[in-house]
Amino acid sequence: MLNRRSFVLLSSFLMISASAFVTAQGASKPKLSASAIQVALLDVGDVRVPPEFRYAIYEQIVDHVKASGAFAKVYRAGDKAAAGVPDLVTLHTKMEGFKEGSQTVREVTTVFGATTVDITASVTDKAGKELLSKKLTGRVRFFGENLGVTNDIAKKVTKLVSAAYHPGA
Amino acid sequence: MKLTIALLVAAASLASGQTPISGAKFPGADNRARHVIGLDEKMKRNAMGSLTVHDGKLEFKSGNPGQEVISEVPISSVEDVFIGTESTQTRGKSARVAKTAAYAAPYGTGRSVSLLLRNKVDILTVSYHDSDGALHGAIFALPLGDAETVRTQLVQAGVHASPIEQ
Repeated sequence: MLNRRSFVLLSSFLMISASAFVTAQGASKPKLSASAIQVALLDVGDVRVPPEFRYAIYEQIVDHVKASGAFAKVYRAGDKAAAGVPDLVTLHTKMEGFKEGSQTVREVTTVFGATTVDITASVTDKAGKELLSKKLTGRVRFFGENLGVTNDIAKKVTKLVSAAYHPGA
Repeated sequence: MKLTIALLVAAASLASGQTPISGAKFPGADNRARHVIGLDEKMKRNAMGSLTVHDGKLEFKSGNPGQEVISEVPISSVEDVFIGTESTQTRGKSARVAKTAAYAAPYGTGRSVSLLLRNKVDILTVSYHDSDGALHGAIFALPLGDAETVRTQLVQAGVHASPIEQ
């Protein structure tokens, strides 16, 4: 049975250890930092996808990332001004799968007929080193055009990137 | 019987409307189009306007006379042109009334009414580089059949266009 003094010492030790552990956990995953990001055009690889989907995903991502405020500057693919940014990172998206659903089926059944887009989103630095990568799926299931799936996937990509970055520090 | 009731409700609603279902999307003069996304930042998404090819450029003009917003894309900067189709919902007052009736229709019969409110449109995608070299994918929705006309005009003006997929 612990006496009072031992109990106080043990409690203090446990509290100090716990706070050190929490601090260490928080410090082990620092947020990434960059002042600017360049959005590359979606790489469709061998997946057959309507061109309007490819460009709509690209445009939606540009819009959403700009609106997120996570970066001071967002460059489109090919923008010559991006070359002069020292801490520029590049957002790549690669199509892994695409299933064009039927709006008619969606509206009749409300359950089936979803259009789905599977992509891998990754961020690389100027040297090409991969800083982050994640598979994401976009869906449109409810009443709406098929192109609505591009907005869904763009929001998910933006959420991923915004969570990892904050304005250049 | 239930389907008949729903269709009758929708038909009655539409009869009081101003525009028919099929023509509600692009009323007005020729060259009408909707800018979905992708032009320069001054052009709003889903802006209705006119899309024309002339004097070595693709021009989209939106807004009332005297307050127009114009976006121009030099033909020389266009990388490719694609055509597709999309099923989209009819818009406007008549459509809203019919959709409300559809939601109120019993036993799920409203779903079939919603099917009547869809129409097909052409999707024209123009990829181009702006003056900074930045890539844009400008996407337009046009009345069915009109995208091929614009594509032909662009090709005649010197643009490379990917083959139309059947």
